[in-house]
Amino acid sequence: MNTEVLTKEGIQVDLLDFLCRQFYVDIEDIALDRSLVDTGIIDSMGLIEIASYIKKRYAYTVTNEEMNRDNFGSVIKIVDFISRIKEG
Amino acid sequence: MFKNNDDIKRCKRCILSENFPRIKFDSNGVCNFCNNELLHITEDEDIDKSRDEVINLLNKNKGQAEYDAIVCYSGGKDSTYTLKLAVEKYKLKVLSFTLDNGFISPVAFSNIEKVVSELGIDQITYRPSYKFMKGLFRISSLDNIYNPKTLTRISANCNSCISIVNNMALKMAMEKNIPFILAGFTLGQIPSSTIFYQNNYEFLAESRKPILDKFKAELGSDVSKHLEISQELIKKSKGYPYNINLLCLEDITEDEIVEQILPLGWVKPKDVDGCSTNCRINSFNNYVHIKKFGYSPYELELSHLIRKNLLTRDEALKKLFDQPQEQIDFVKAELRIDDSMLEKY
Ligand SMILES: [Zn+2]
Repeated sequence: MNTEVLTKEGIQVDLLDFLCRQFYVDIEDIALDRSLVDTGIIDSMGLIEIASYIKKRYAYTVTNEEMNRDNFGSVIKIVDFISRIKEG
Repeated sequence: MFKNNDDIKRCKRCILSENFPRIKFDSNGVCNFCNNELLHITEDEDIDKSRDEVINLLNKNKGQAEYDAIVCYSGGKDSTYTLKLAVEKYKLKVLSFTLDNGFISPVAFSNIEKVVSELGIDQITYRPSYKFMKGLFRISSLDNIYNPKTLTRISANCNSCISIVNNMALKMAMEKNIPFILAGFTLGQIPSSTIFYQNNYEFLAESRKPILDKFKAELGSDVSKHLEISQELIKKSKGYPYNINLLCLEDITEDEIVEQILPLGWVKPKDVDGCSTNCRINSFNNYVHIKKFGYSPYELELSHLIRKNLLTRDEALKKLFDQPQEQIDFVKAELRIDDSMLEKY
């Protein structure tokens, strides 16, 4: 578990770096405010991979109920979700 | 048009080709995947952690239903070994489940019969109509139904076929309250983050709705039957089963796997290509993928095995190029597809 205080900017930079490496895309390919599934960056398995990244990076296990569009519907939403669990 | 697969520039260490997404070569001709610039190498620590979690999960949930696990069994070597692991190493009560996609090698079917008899387990084979399967493969081959970024390690046809396997296994597991679904994927085929995970149908359904809509437009209501789960079943089921890829937790070479399953009566089919041990549509799937994207869907997996010293580069290239023309032609005729219909993506 990483104990440093993370800003939303920091969370976002880290997430984007993960997405680019894991899914072989360039950062320019990622629209921050659109669904990663809708824009074809990932498929449903990709969401499992992102949940696994959150578990490893932030020591938080995403529940099935939390796996929804409100939390995972875009990079911005995922960053908000991570910052909420970091506070919670 | 892409160059022939034989004279393509490839990494000097693995076999990734110049057409692979985001590939770059250093001055020695070694790719950025080999140089560990991208997240592809599975850390042993991750696997050890997953192993502990999987064992905990299995122990916590087994012995509570008619079966502990459904094993998605293709008759190929990896799922045969997964079945053996489930029964003999993990002592699970398993139900073996096979999707007959219409292109399974007859030798693979005889392997399934011998292996399930030898292990003393129940077997269910599910066969959608040949007309449906051919239609599904034809659309997947021609209509660019999936986003290319999600096809780096799988062909479109394999993706469609595996979607049916996953959906039907999930449906059966939910009907019978079976807590686990086991599949024979290996690292290289899947990222280490998906060694095990809990299913989430709503999310899955939402994310692939556009794909299913395209299938439905041409194939009708059968799509629902094979690729969807009803709301009633979701409501009455006691939560979602976990998918686990047990083979990812083992440190074993391909030859060792074959050695382990030969005593069960398993025989290597001769009518398949170098990358499959059960399916006769595979060469065609690879052919289509190379025509569209310029690289084989097996490059990533074989390259992973090379880096893990589980396969030599020459062995990997031999597998990659072992794509019998007569099988490709056979499938082209069955699906009524000719080269003029297959264009670069
Ligand atoms: Zn390489």
